[in-house]
Amino acid sequence: MKSKIAFWILTIVSSIIVVYILVNTVVQPVFTKNPLPKVIVRTTGEKEKGGKGEIKPDEDTISPSEGSGNSKEAWSKFIENRKKEVLLQSRLTLANEDSMYLVLDLVKNVAILEIKGISLHECPIVKATISNSIKSYPSDGLLNWMAEPFSVKHIEATIPKIQFIEKIAPKDTLEANKMVVEPTLARLGDVCIVMDFDRNLRLVIGQSEQPDEEGAKLISALRKKYNKIEISRSINSLTKFNREPVKPQIEIVLPKSDATIFYKALPLNPRMILRM
Amino acid sequence: MEIEEKSKLSFFGIVKWIIPVFLLTMSVMMILFTPAFQDSAFKLKSLFAGSSDSEIRTPDVIRKMESKSRRNISLIADKLDKLKPVKPYIVVNTTGNRFSLRDINGDTIRTGACSTGKNELLIAGNKRIVFKTPKGIFTVRNKQQNRPWVKPDWAYIEDGLPIPSARSADRIDYSTLGDYAMEIGDGYMLHGTLYQRFLGLPVTHGCVRLGDKDLEVIYNTLSKGSKVFIY
Repeated sequence: MKSKIAFWILTIVSSIIVVYILVNTVVQPVFTKNPLPKVIVRTTGEKEKGGKGEIKPDEDTISPSEGSGNSKEAWSKFIENRKKEVLLQSRLTLANEDSMYLVLDLVKNVAILEIKGISLHECPIVKATISNSIKSYPSDGLLNWMAEPFSVKHIEATIPKIQFIEKIAPKDTLEANKMVVEPTLARLGDVCIVMDFDRNLRLVIGQSEQPDEEGAKLISALRKKYNKIEISRSINSLTKFNREPVKPQIEIVLPKSDATIFYKALPLNPRMILRM
Repeated sequence: MEIEEKSKLSFFGIVKWIIPVFLLTMSVMMILFTPAFQDSAFKLKSLFAGSSDSEIRTPDVIRKMESKSRRNISLIADKLDKLKPVKPYIVVNTTGNRFSLRDINGDTIRTGACSTGKNELLIAGNKRIVFKTPKGIFTVRNKQQNRPWVKPDWAYIEDGLPIPSARSADRIDYSTLGDYAMEIGDGYMLHGTLYQRFLGLPVTHGCVRLGDKDLEVIYNTLSKGSKVFIY
Protein backbone atom coordinates (compact mmCIF):
# COMPACT_ATOMS: atom_id res chain seq x y z
CA MET A 1 0.00 0.00 0.00
CA LYS A 2 2.79 2.36 1.01
CA SER A 3 4.69 1.62 -2.17
CA LYS A 4 1.54 2.24 -4.23
CA ILE A 5 1.12 5.69 -2.69
CA ALA A 6 4.80 6.45 -3.16
CA PHE A 7 4.54 5.35 -6.80
CA TRP A 8 1.59 7.61 -7.51
CA ILE A 9 3.12 10.59 -5.73
CA LEU A 10 6.37 10.19 -7.62
CA THR A 11 4.58 9.70 -10.93
CA ILE A 12 2.41 12.79 -10.46
CA VAL A 13 5.33 14.94 -9.28
CA SER A 14 7.58 13.84 -12.14
CA SER A 15 4.75 14.43 -14.63
CA ILE A 16 4.31 17.94 -13.31
CA ILE A 17 8.07 18.50 -13.57
CA VAL A 18 8.14 17.24 -17.16
CA VAL A 19 5.22 19.43 -18.18
CA TYR A 20 6.71 22.46 -16.41
CA ILE A 21 10.07 22.02 -18.10
CA LEU A 22 8.45 21.29 -21.45
CA VAL A 23 6.32 24.40 -21.32
CA ASN A 24 9.14 26.61 -20.10
CA THR A 25 11.98 25.50 -22.30
CA VAL A 26 10.23 24.27 -25.42
CA VAL A 27 6.57 25.24 -25.82
CA GLN A 28 6.81 28.84 -24.67
CA PRO A 29 9.85 29.90 -26.75
CA VAL A 30 8.77 27.91 -29.81
CA PHE A 31 5.12 28.86 -29.91
CA THR A 32 5.09 32.36 -28.48
CA LYS A 33 8.39 33.95 -29.49
CA ASN A 34 9.65 34.93 -32.90
CA PRO A 35 13.15 33.54 -33.44
CA LEU A 36 13.82 35.64 -36.53
CA PRO A 37 13.40 39.36 -35.86
CA LYS A 38 12.83 41.29 -39.06
CA VAL A 39 14.66 44.25 -40.49
CA ILE A 40 13.20 46.94 -42.69
CA VAL A 41 13.77 46.02 -46.30
CA ARG A 42 15.05 48.94 -48.28
CA THR A 43 15.01 48.99 -52.05
CA THR A 44 17.54 50.95 -54.06
CA GLY A 45 15.03 53.01 -56.02
CA GLU A 46 13.29 54.16 -52.90
CA LYS A 47 16.53 54.87 -51.09
CA GLU A 48 17.47 57.22 -53.92
CA LYS A 49 14.08 58.92 -53.90
CA GLY A 50 13.97 59.38 -50.16
CA GLY A 51 17.45 60.88 -50.10
CA LYS A 52 19.81 60.70 -47.12
CA GLY A 53 18.68 57.15 -46.44
CA GLU A 54 15.12 58.22 -45.55
CA ILE A 55 12.71 55.36 -46.05
CA LYS A 56 9.00 54.93 -45.70
CA PRO A 57 8.47 51.72 -43.78
CA ASP A 58 4.96 51.05 -45.08
CA GLU A 59 6.25 51.09 -48.65
CA ASP A 60 9.43 49.20 -48.02
CA THR A 61 8.54 46.53 -45.58
CA ILE A 62 7.16 43.31 -46.89
CA SER A 63 4.16 42.77 -44.71
CA PRO A 64 0.96 40.92 -45.44
CA SER A 65 -1.46 43.73 -46.01
CA GLU A 66 -2.33 44.13 -49.63
CA GLY A 67 -5.39 41.97 -50.28
CA SER A 68 -5.45 38.27 -50.91
CA GLY A 69 -6.04 35.83 -53.73
CA ASN A 70 -5.03 32.42 -54.98
CA SER A 71 -1.85 33.31 -56.83
CA LYS A 72 0.51 31.26 -54.73
CA GLU A 73 2.80 30.48 -57.65
CA ALA A 74 3.16 34.10 -58.71
CA TRP A 75 3.80 35.01 -55.11
CA SER A 76 6.57 32.47 -54.67
CA LYS A 77 8.11 33.66 -57.96
CA PHE A 78 7.99 37.20 -56.66
CA ILE A 79 9.60 36.10 -53.39
CA GLU A 80 12.43 34.48 -55.36
CA ASN A 81 12.91 37.75 -57.22
CA ARG A 82 12.91 39.68 -53.98
CA LYS A 83 15.52 37.32 -52.58
CA LYS A 84 17.75 38.15 -55.54
CA GLU A 85 17.12 41.85 -55.01
CA VAL A 86 17.85 41.64 -51.31
CA LEU A 87 21.08 39.73 -51.98
CA LEU A 88 22.23 42.32 -54.48
CA GLN A 89 21.22 45.17 -52.21
CA SER A 90 23.20 43.66 -49.33
CA ARG A 91 26.18 43.17 -51.62
CA LEU A 92 25.96 46.79 -52.69
CA THR A 93 25.71 47.98 -49.09
CA LEU A 94 28.85 46.08 -48.11
CA ALA A 95 30.65 46.83 -51.37
CA ASN A 96 30.49 50.50 -50.45
CA GLU A 97 32.61 49.73 -47.39
CA ASP A 98 36.29 48.77 -47.32
CA SER A 99 35.99 45.57 -45.28
CA MET A 100 35.94 41.97 -46.35
CA TYR A 101 32.70 40.12 -45.79
CA LEU A 102 31.31 36.64 -46.09
CA VAL A 103 28.61 35.62 -48.54
CA LEU A 104 26.91 32.39 -47.58
CA ASP A 105 24.95 31.13 -50.55
CA LEU A 106 22.97 28.13 -49.36
CA VAL A 107 21.19 27.89 -52.71
CA LYS A 108 24.38 27.28 -54.70
CA ASN A 109 26.14 25.83 -51.65
CA VAL A 110 29.13 28.12 -51.77
CA ALA A 111 30.87 30.35 -49.28
CA ILE A 112 32.48 33.44 -50.75
CA LEU A 113 34.92 35.93 -49.29
CA GLU A 114 34.27 39.27 -50.92
CA ILE A 115 35.45 42.83 -50.85
CA LYS A 116 33.95 45.66 -52.91
CA GLY A 117 31.78 43.12 -54.72
CA ILE A 118 34.88 41.20 -55.87
CA SER A 119 35.05 37.52 -55.00
CA LEU A 120 38.44 36.92 -53.40
CA HIS A 121 38.00 33.33 -52.33
CA GLU A 122 35.27 30.86 -53.03
CA CYS A 123 34.75 27.35 -51.73
CA PRO A 124 32.01 24.73 -51.86
CA ILE A 125 30.01 24.05 -48.72
CA VAL A 126 30.47 20.36 -48.04
CA LYS A 127 27.43 20.13 -45.77
CA ALA A 128 24.91 22.58 -44.40
CA THR A 129 22.50 21.99 -41.56
CA ILE A 130 19.79 24.56 -40.98
CA SER A 131 17.61 24.74 -37.87
CA ASN A 132 13.93 23.94 -38.30
CA SER A 133 13.21 27.37 -36.82
CA ILE A 134 14.61 28.83 -40.07
CA LYS A 135 13.46 26.13 -42.47
CA SER A 136 9.87 26.21 -41.30
CA TYR A 137 9.57 29.99 -41.31
CA PRO A 138 7.29 31.58 -43.94
CA SER A 139 9.33 32.85 -46.88
CA ASP A 140 8.16 36.47 -46.61
CA GLY A 141 9.18 36.53 -42.95
CA LEU A 142 12.47 34.90 -43.81
CA LEU A 143 13.08 37.56 -46.42
CA ASN A 144 12.49 40.27 -43.88
CA TRP A 145 14.92 38.57 -41.54
CA MET A 146 17.80 38.33 -43.99
CA ALA A 147 17.08 41.55 -45.84
CA GLU A 148 20.23 43.24 -44.64
CA PRO A 149 23.75 42.00 -43.92
CA PHE A 150 24.22 40.32 -40.56
CA SER A 151 26.84 41.72 -38.18
CA VAL A 152 28.86 39.54 -35.83
CA LYS A 153 28.32 40.24 -32.15
CA HIS A 154 30.59 37.54 -30.83
CA ILE A 155 33.04 35.20 -32.48
CA GLU A 156 35.07 32.33 -31.11
CA ALA A 157 37.29 29.78 -32.80
CA THR A 158 39.73 27.00 -32.11
CA ILE A 159 42.44 28.71 -34.16
CA PRO A 160 44.08 32.08 -33.56
CA LYS A 161 43.15 34.96 -35.84
CA ILE A 162 46.77 35.91 -36.20
CA GLN A 163 49.80 34.38 -34.57
CA PHE A 164 53.12 36.13 -34.27
CA ILE A 165 56.39 34.40 -33.60
CA GLU A 166 58.42 36.52 -31.22
CA LYS A 167 62.12 36.84 -31.95
CA ILE A 168 64.77 38.71 -29.99
CA ALA A 169 67.11 40.62 -32.29
CA PRO A 170 70.58 39.03 -32.48
CA LYS A 171 73.51 40.88 -30.98
CA ASP A 172 75.87 40.11 -33.85
CA THR A 173 76.11 38.25 -37.14
CA LEU A 174 77.28 35.08 -35.42
CA GLU A 175 74.11 34.95 -33.34
CA ALA A 176 72.05 35.91 -36.38
CA ASN A 177 73.48 32.98 -38.36
CA LYS A 178 72.64 30.62 -35.51
CA MET A 179 69.05 31.85 -35.52
CA VAL A 180 68.50 31.11 -39.20
CA VAL A 181 66.05 28.26 -39.65
CA GLU A 182 64.80 26.70 -42.85
CA PRO A 183 61.24 27.96 -43.33
CA THR A 184 58.50 25.35 -43.45
CA LEU A 185 54.80 25.44 -44.10
CA ALA A 186 52.94 26.07 -40.86
CA ARG A 187 50.64 23.25 -39.75
CA LEU A 188 46.97 24.17 -40.02
CA GLY A 189 45.13 23.79 -36.74
CA ASP A 190 41.75 22.04 -36.64
CA VAL A 191 38.95 24.51 -37.13
CA CYS A 192 35.63 25.15 -35.49
CA ILE A 193 34.25 28.68 -35.57
CA VAL A 194 31.15 29.91 -33.77
CA MET A 195 29.76 33.26 -34.87
CA ASP A 196 26.85 34.88 -33.06
CA PHE A 197 25.25 37.46 -35.32
CA ASP A 198 22.66 40.10 -34.67
CA ARG A 199 19.06 39.11 -35.38
CA ASN A 200 19.59 36.01 -33.24
CA LEU A 201 21.54 33.94 -35.77
CA ARG A 202 24.32 31.54 -34.89
CA LEU A 203 26.68 30.27 -37.58
CA VAL A 204 28.93 27.33 -36.83
CA ILE A 205 31.70 26.53 -39.29
CA GLY A 206 33.27 23.12 -39.00
CA GLN A 207 35.90 21.30 -41.03
CA SER A 208 35.32 18.35 -43.32
CA GLU A 209 38.57 16.63 -42.36
CA GLN A 210 38.84 14.43 -39.30
CA PRO A 211 40.60 16.43 -36.56
CA ASP A 212 43.67 15.08 -34.79
CA GLU A 213 43.55 14.27 -31.08
CA GLU A 214 44.47 17.76 -29.91
CA GLY A 215 42.13 19.42 -32.42
CA ALA A 216 39.25 17.15 -31.45
CA LYS A 217 39.71 18.18 -27.82
CA LEU A 218 39.65 21.88 -28.73
CA ILE A 219 36.58 21.49 -30.92
CA SER A 220 34.72 19.52 -28.30
CA ALA A 221 35.64 22.08 -25.61
CA LEU A 222 34.25 24.89 -27.75
CA ARG A 223 31.03 23.02 -28.48
CA LYS A 224 30.65 22.05 -24.83
CA LYS A 225 31.01 25.70 -23.84
CA TYR A 226 28.07 26.66 -26.02
CA ASN A 227 26.04 23.68 -24.80
CA LYS A 228 26.64 24.81 -21.23
CA ILE A 229 25.33 28.27 -22.12
CA GLU A 230 22.15 26.68 -23.48
CA ILE A 231 21.76 24.53 -20.36
CA SER A 232 22.14 27.54 -18.09
CA ARG A 233 19.60 29.44 -20.23
CA SER A 234 17.17 26.56 -19.74
CA ILE A 235 17.75 26.40 -16.00
CA ASN A 236 17.32 30.16 -15.69
CA SER A 237 14.08 30.00 -17.62
CA LEU A 238 12.68 27.57 -15.05
CA THR A 239 12.88 30.22 -12.37
CA LYS A 240 11.98 33.24 -14.48
CA PHE A 241 9.37 31.63 -16.70
CA ASN A 242 10.68 33.71 -19.56
CA ARG A 243 13.09 31.91 -21.83
CA GLU A 244 14.73 33.90 -24.62
CA PRO A 245 13.63 33.09 -28.17
CA VAL A 246 15.13 30.01 -29.79
CA LYS A 247 18.55 30.64 -31.36
CA PRO A 248 18.36 29.60 -35.00
CA GLN A 249 21.55 27.95 -36.11
CA ILE A 250 23.20 27.29 -39.43
CA GLU A 251 26.04 24.83 -39.36
CA ILE A 252 28.26 24.49 -42.38
CA VAL A 253 31.18 22.22 -43.08
CA LEU A 254 34.04 23.51 -45.21
CA PRO A 255 37.44 22.11 -46.11
CA LYS A 256 39.85 22.97 -43.30
CA SER A 257 42.10 25.17 -45.44
CA ASP A 258 39.15 27.24 -46.67
CA ALA A 259 37.66 27.64 -43.19
CA THR A 260 41.08 28.86 -41.99
CA ILE A 261 41.36 31.31 -44.88
CA PHE A 262 37.92 32.76 -44.16
CA TYR A 263 38.56 33.13 -40.46
CA LYS A 264 41.97 34.74 -40.88
CA ALA A 265 40.88 37.07 -43.67
CA LEU A 266 37.66 38.37 -42.14
CA PRO A 267 37.91 41.45 -39.92
CA LEU A 268 37.32 41.25 -36.16
CA ASN A 269 33.63 42.11 -36.47
CA PRO A 270 32.78 40.66 -39.84
CA ARG A 271 29.52 40.99 -41.70
CA MET A 272 27.72 38.34 -43.64
CA ILE A 273 25.17 38.11 -46.39
CA LEU A 274 22.91 35.11 -46.33
CA ARG A 275 21.14 33.60 -49.32
CA MET A 276 18.81 30.67 -48.94
CA MET B 1 0.04 -21.13 -8.74
CA GLU B 2 0.20 -18.70 -5.87
CA ILE B 3 3.96 -18.39 -6.21
CA GLU B 4 3.58 -17.62 -9.91
CA GLU B 5 1.04 -14.87 -9.21
CA LYS B 6 3.25 -13.41 -6.47
CA SER B 7 6.28 -13.27 -8.77
CA LYS B 8 4.12 -11.69 -11.48
CA LEU B 9 2.99 -9.03 -9.03
CA SER B 10 6.52 -8.28 -7.89
CA PHE B 11 7.64 -8.12 -11.53
CA PHE B 12 4.98 -5.52 -12.36
CA GLY B 13 5.71 -3.83 -9.05
CA ILE B 14 9.24 -3.20 -10.25
CA VAL B 15 8.37 -2.44 -13.85
CA LYS B 16 5.84 0.28 -12.96
CA TRP B 17 8.66 2.33 -11.41
CA ILE B 18 10.00 2.77 -14.90
CA ILE B 19 7.28 5.39 -15.51
CA PRO B 20 8.43 8.01 -12.96
CA VAL B 21 12.07 7.20 -13.67
CA PHE B 22 11.43 7.76 -17.39
CA LEU B 23 9.62 11.04 -16.68
CA LEU B 24 12.44 12.32 -14.51
CA THR B 25 15.01 11.27 -17.11
CA MET B 26 12.99 13.16 -19.73
CA SER B 27 13.09 16.30 -17.57
CA VAL B 28 16.86 16.10 -17.31
CA MET B 29 17.18 15.40 -21.04
CA MET B 30 15.00 18.39 -21.85
CA ILE B 31 17.31 20.66 -19.91
CA LEU B 32 20.47 19.11 -21.33
CA PHE B 33 19.30 19.05 -24.94
CA THR B 34 16.91 21.98 -25.11
CA PRO B 35 17.95 23.10 -28.64
CA ALA B 36 17.25 19.63 -30.05
CA PHE B 37 13.81 19.54 -28.41
CA GLN B 38 13.06 23.06 -29.62
CA ASP B 39 14.10 22.15 -33.14
CA SER B 40 11.79 19.14 -33.13
CA ALA B 41 9.02 21.35 -31.78
CA PHE B 42 9.49 23.72 -34.70
CA LYS B 43 9.16 20.80 -37.08
CA LEU B 44 5.98 19.80 -35.33
CA LYS B 45 4.70 23.36 -35.37
CA SER B 46 5.29 23.65 -39.11
CA LEU B 47 3.43 20.38 -39.70
CA PHE B 48 0.36 21.79 -38.02
CA ALA B 49 0.60 25.41 -39.08
CA GLY B 50 2.18 24.81 -42.52
CA SER B 51 5.00 27.02 -43.77
CA SER B 52 2.96 29.03 -46.22
CA ASP B 53 3.25 32.78 -46.35
CA SER B 54 1.15 34.83 -44.06
CA GLU B 55 -1.08 36.15 -46.82
CA ILE B 56 -1.29 35.93 -50.57
CA ARG B 57 -1.88 39.06 -52.61
CA THR B 58 -3.94 39.55 -55.74
CA PRO B 59 -2.18 38.85 -59.07
CA ASP B 60 -2.24 42.54 -59.97
CA VAL B 61 -0.49 43.57 -56.79
CA ILE B 62 2.06 40.80 -57.21
CA ARG B 63 2.73 41.82 -60.82
CA LYS B 64 3.33 45.42 -59.76
CA MET B 65 5.60 44.36 -56.94
CA GLU B 66 7.52 42.02 -59.20
CA SER B 67 8.13 44.59 -61.89
CA LYS B 68 9.32 47.01 -59.21
CA SER B 69 11.63 44.33 -57.88
CA ARG B 70 12.99 43.56 -61.35
CA ARG B 71 13.68 47.26 -61.92
CA ASN B 72 15.54 47.41 -58.63
CA ILE B 73 17.61 44.33 -59.49
CA SER B 74 18.91 45.89 -62.69
CA LEU B 75 19.53 49.17 -60.90
CA ILE B 76 21.57 47.54 -58.15
CA ALA B 77 23.41 45.30 -60.62
CA ASP B 78 24.44 48.41 -62.55
CA LYS B 79 25.72 50.02 -59.39
CA LEU B 80 27.69 46.91 -58.46
CA ASP B 81 29.17 46.79 -61.95
CA LYS B 82 30.42 50.33 -61.53
CA LEU B 83 32.36 49.25 -58.45
CA LYS B 84 34.30 46.60 -60.36
CA PRO B 85 37.94 47.34 -61.16
CA VAL B 86 38.44 48.98 -64.52
CA LYS B 87 41.91 47.49 -64.92
CA PRO B 88 43.27 43.96 -64.46
CA TYR B 89 43.97 43.24 -60.83
CA ILE B 90 45.74 40.78 -58.58
CA VAL B 91 44.39 38.87 -55.58
CA VAL B 92 46.87 37.63 -52.98
CA ASN B 93 46.04 34.91 -50.48
CA THR B 94 48.35 35.29 -47.48
CA THR B 95 47.21 32.08 -45.77
CA GLY B 96 47.88 29.85 -48.75
CA ASN B 97 50.64 32.05 -50.22
CA ARG B 98 49.04 32.02 -53.65
CA PHE B 99 48.18 34.77 -56.09
CA SER B 100 45.61 35.08 -58.84
CA LEU B 101 45.95 37.62 -61.63
CA ARG B 102 42.57 38.54 -63.12
CA ASP B 103 41.25 40.56 -66.03
CA ILE B 104 38.52 43.19 -65.76
CA ASN B 105 35.82 40.53 -66.09
CA GLY B 106 37.23 38.70 -63.09
CA ASP B 107 38.56 35.84 -65.22
CA THR B 108 41.84 34.37 -64.06
CA ILE B 109 44.82 35.10 -66.27
CA ARG B 110 47.44 33.40 -64.15
CA THR B 111 47.76 31.82 -60.75
CA GLY B 112 50.82 30.71 -58.84
CA ALA B 113 52.77 30.60 -55.62
CA CYS B 114 54.05 33.68 -53.86
CA SER B 115 55.57 34.48 -50.50
CA THR B 116 53.97 36.79 -47.99
CA GLY B 117 54.73 38.07 -44.49
CA LYS B 118 56.16 35.66 -41.94
CA ASN B 119 54.09 37.09 -39.07
CA GLU B 120 57.07 37.68 -36.87
CA LEU B 121 57.62 40.16 -34.07
CA LEU B 122 61.25 41.23 -33.88
CA ILE B 123 62.16 42.65 -30.49
CA ALA B 124 65.20 44.90 -30.42
CA GLY B 125 65.45 46.67 -27.08
CA ASN B 126 62.44 48.96 -26.90
CA LYS B 127 61.70 48.54 -30.58
CA ARG B 128 59.08 46.08 -31.76
CA ILE B 129 59.04 45.44 -35.47
CA VAL B 130 56.18 43.48 -37.03
CA PHE B 131 56.74 41.53 -40.23
CA LYS B 132 53.33 40.86 -41.74
CA THR B 133 51.55 41.49 -45.00
CA PRO B 134 48.69 43.93 -44.58
CA LYS B 135 45.23 42.87 -45.75
CA GLY B 136 42.77 44.92 -47.75
CA ILE B 137 42.66 46.88 -50.99
CA PHE B 138 45.78 48.52 -52.36
CA THR B 139 46.67 50.30 -55.58
CA VAL B 140 49.78 49.97 -57.71
CA ARG B 141 51.37 53.37 -57.18
CA ASN B 142 54.58 52.93 -59.05
CA LYS B 143 56.24 50.38 -61.34
CA GLN B 144 59.94 50.06 -61.76
CA GLN B 145 62.41 47.72 -63.44
CA ASN B 146 65.62 46.70 -61.66
CA ARG B 147 64.66 48.78 -58.70
CA PRO B 148 67.36 49.04 -56.05
CA TRP B 149 66.29 48.38 -52.49
CA VAL B 150 67.22 50.90 -49.85
CA LYS B 151 67.64 48.66 -46.84
CA PRO B 152 65.71 49.88 -43.81
CA ASP B 153 67.03 49.67 -40.23
CA TRP B 154 65.29 46.37 -39.52
CA ALA B 155 67.29 44.61 -42.22
CA TYR B 156 70.44 45.33 -40.20
CA ILE B 157 68.84 44.63 -36.83
CA GLU B 158 67.64 41.24 -38.07
CA ASP B 159 71.13 40.32 -39.31
CA GLY B 160 72.86 41.55 -36.16
CA LEU B 161 74.73 44.21 -38.15
CA PRO B 162 75.47 47.80 -37.12
CA ILE B 163 72.98 50.25 -38.61
CA PRO B 164 74.61 52.62 -41.09
CA SER B 165 73.63 56.27 -41.43
CA ALA B 166 70.34 57.02 -43.19
CA ARG B 167 72.02 58.19 -46.41
CA SER B 168 74.78 55.61 -46.44
CA ALA B 169 75.46 54.00 -49.82
CA ASP B 170 75.77 50.67 -47.98
CA ARG B 171 72.02 50.60 -47.69
CA ILE B 172 71.49 50.24 -51.41
CA ASP B 173 70.99 46.69 -52.62
CA TYR B 174 70.64 46.01 -56.35
CA SER B 175 69.70 42.35 -56.39
CA THR B 176 67.11 41.58 -53.70
CA LEU B 177 63.98 42.93 -55.40
CA GLY B 178 64.48 41.08 -58.68
CA ASP B 179 63.75 42.43 -62.15
CA TYR B 180 60.51 44.25 -61.42
CA ALA B 181 58.89 45.95 -58.46
CA MET B 182 55.46 47.48 -57.98
CA GLU B 183 54.85 49.75 -54.99
CA ILE B 184 51.49 49.43 -53.27
CA GLY B 185 52.00 52.00 -50.50
CA ASP B 186 53.46 52.20 -46.99
CA GLY B 187 56.71 50.68 -48.24
CA TYR B 188 55.06 47.43 -49.33
CA MET B 189 55.77 46.05 -52.79
CA LEU B 190 55.17 43.19 -55.17
CA HIS B 191 58.64 42.18 -56.28
CA GLY B 192 60.93 39.33 -57.27
CA THR B 193 63.15 37.23 -55.07
CA LEU B 194 66.50 35.53 -54.89
CA TYR B 195 64.89 32.77 -52.85
CA GLN B 196 62.63 31.11 -55.45
CA ARG B 197 62.62 27.86 -53.43
CA PHE B 198 60.72 29.62 -50.64
CA LEU B 199 57.80 30.57 -52.89
CA GLY B 200 54.60 29.29 -51.30
CA LEU B 201 55.96 29.88 -47.81
CA PRO B 202 55.42 32.84 -45.50
CA VAL B 203 58.94 34.23 -45.30
CA THR B 204 58.83 37.92 -46.20
CA HIS B 205 58.96 41.05 -44.11
CA GLY B 206 55.57 42.14 -45.47
CA CYS B 207 56.09 42.50 -49.21
CA VAL B 208 54.73 39.98 -51.69
CA ARG B 209 57.51 38.04 -53.40
CA LEU B 210 56.83 36.43 -56.76
CA GLY B 211 58.62 34.00 -59.05
CA ASP B 212 60.50 35.46 -62.04
CA LYS B 213 58.08 34.32 -64.77
CA ASP B 214 54.98 35.25 -62.77
CA LEU B 215 56.46 38.60 -61.88
CA GLU B 216 57.10 39.44 -65.52
CA VAL B 217 53.51 38.63 -66.52
CA ILE B 218 52.10 40.54 -63.57
CA TYR B 219 54.35 43.53 -64.26
CA ASN B 220 53.24 43.61 -67.88
CA THR B 221 49.55 43.18 -67.03
CA LEU B 222 49.14 45.56 -64.13
CA SER B 223 49.51 49.25 -64.62
CA LYS B 224 49.64 52.25 -62.32
CA GLY B 225 46.25 52.39 -60.58
CA SER B 226 45.60 48.63 -60.80
CA LYS B 227 44.04 47.16 -57.70
CA VAL B 228 45.80 44.71 -55.40
CA PHE B 229 43.50 42.72 -53.11
CA ILE B 230 45.24 41.01 -50.21
CA TYR B 231 43.40 38.63 -47.88
